[in-house]
Amino acid sequence: MATPSATEWSLLLGCRVVIIVTTGTMLPFDRLVRAMDFWAGQHPSEDAFAQIGDGAYEPRNMSWVRFLAPGEFADRVRRSSLIVAHAGTGSFFLAAETSKAVVMLPRLAVNREHTTDHQVHTARWLSDKRGAYVAMTEEELPAAIARARAPGSFVASQSTPYAPQPFLAKIREFLVA
Amino acid sequence: MLDGRRLAGKVLAVASGGGHWLEMRRLYPAFENLDVAFVSVHPAYAEQVPDHRFYVIRDVTRWDRWGLIVLTAQLLRIILIERPSVVITTGSAPGLFALTIAKLVLRARTMWIDSIANCEQLSSSGMRARHIADVWLTQWPLLQRPNGPFYWGAVL
Repeated sequence: MATPSATEWSLLLGCRVVIIVTTGTMLPFDRLVRAMDFWAGQHPSEDAFAQIGDGAYEPRNMSWVRFLAPGEFADRVRRSSLIVAHAGTGSFFLAAETSKAVVMLPRLAVNREHTTDHQVHTARWLSDKRGAYVAMTEEELPAAIARARAPGSFVASQSTPYAPQPFLAKIREFLVA
Repeated sequence: MLDGRRLAGKVLAVASGGGHWLEMRRLYPAFENLDVAFVSVHPAYAEQVPDHRFYVIRDVTRWDRWGLIVLTAQLLRIILIERPSVVITTGSAPGLFALTIAKLVLRARTMWIDSIANCEQLSSSGMRARHIADVWLTQWPLLQRPNGPFYWGAVL
């Protein structure tokens, strides 16, 4: 199956991607998409691209798709300088694996953005990690983006793609028992 | 490492999308030389576990009643085809369903690893998993209790 390369994608979409906004694919997150669309409207010289899943809100100020296969998504991320995402652990792993900064907004159960408020907990946990810039509300999003892009800001980092060896060994022991 | 194929039966590794799947991938070295089938929600994930069988299940939340019925049927079918002796999950409703079905139908050994995302309290699926998980784990030391969940470490 032919998948467009990173370069082909940028030609197809006619833009240089700097910010990638992603909601993940399980549940919509219109609040994030709408806030980032507003931000993109206020920052016309910036390039933003959004993966919006099943969201009802369709951005007007940035290009977007509903879903990207992992390979295409990885290309997109590689060519971005900043990730803006929901506060899932996946967002942080992604940033760490690609050495990017990540801005995160937690989903809230009260808006039916997720089944529970665990992303609020995740956001609090990750907020002191290098390269993670947390906005607890959409109003805090522009400031979080500014912090992530300020001179001297950090990218997330991770030494290994795998869990620590002692943990792997214990799991292995159970699997082969 | 020991040659797992001779020691162990089949393993079924179940994770839903996003973070759950990334956490499962961080356990990859633990599966070396084992006969493992992976189960997740996006067909494109198959390319990330090229040496293993891969099954796609429906992506559901507990809000989606019909989806839960479809998911149960899909998991039952996969479990009857694979007949795993061990089932491992990094959390979420599909993981809970898979552990339950495999325990009830095959008496499989089961391992629940609550997602690292649940750092202040165990997930609701995680709470329900206590009765069907032979090994019941949290990835946060502060959440472990004398009778479980237990803390063996974390993927990060």
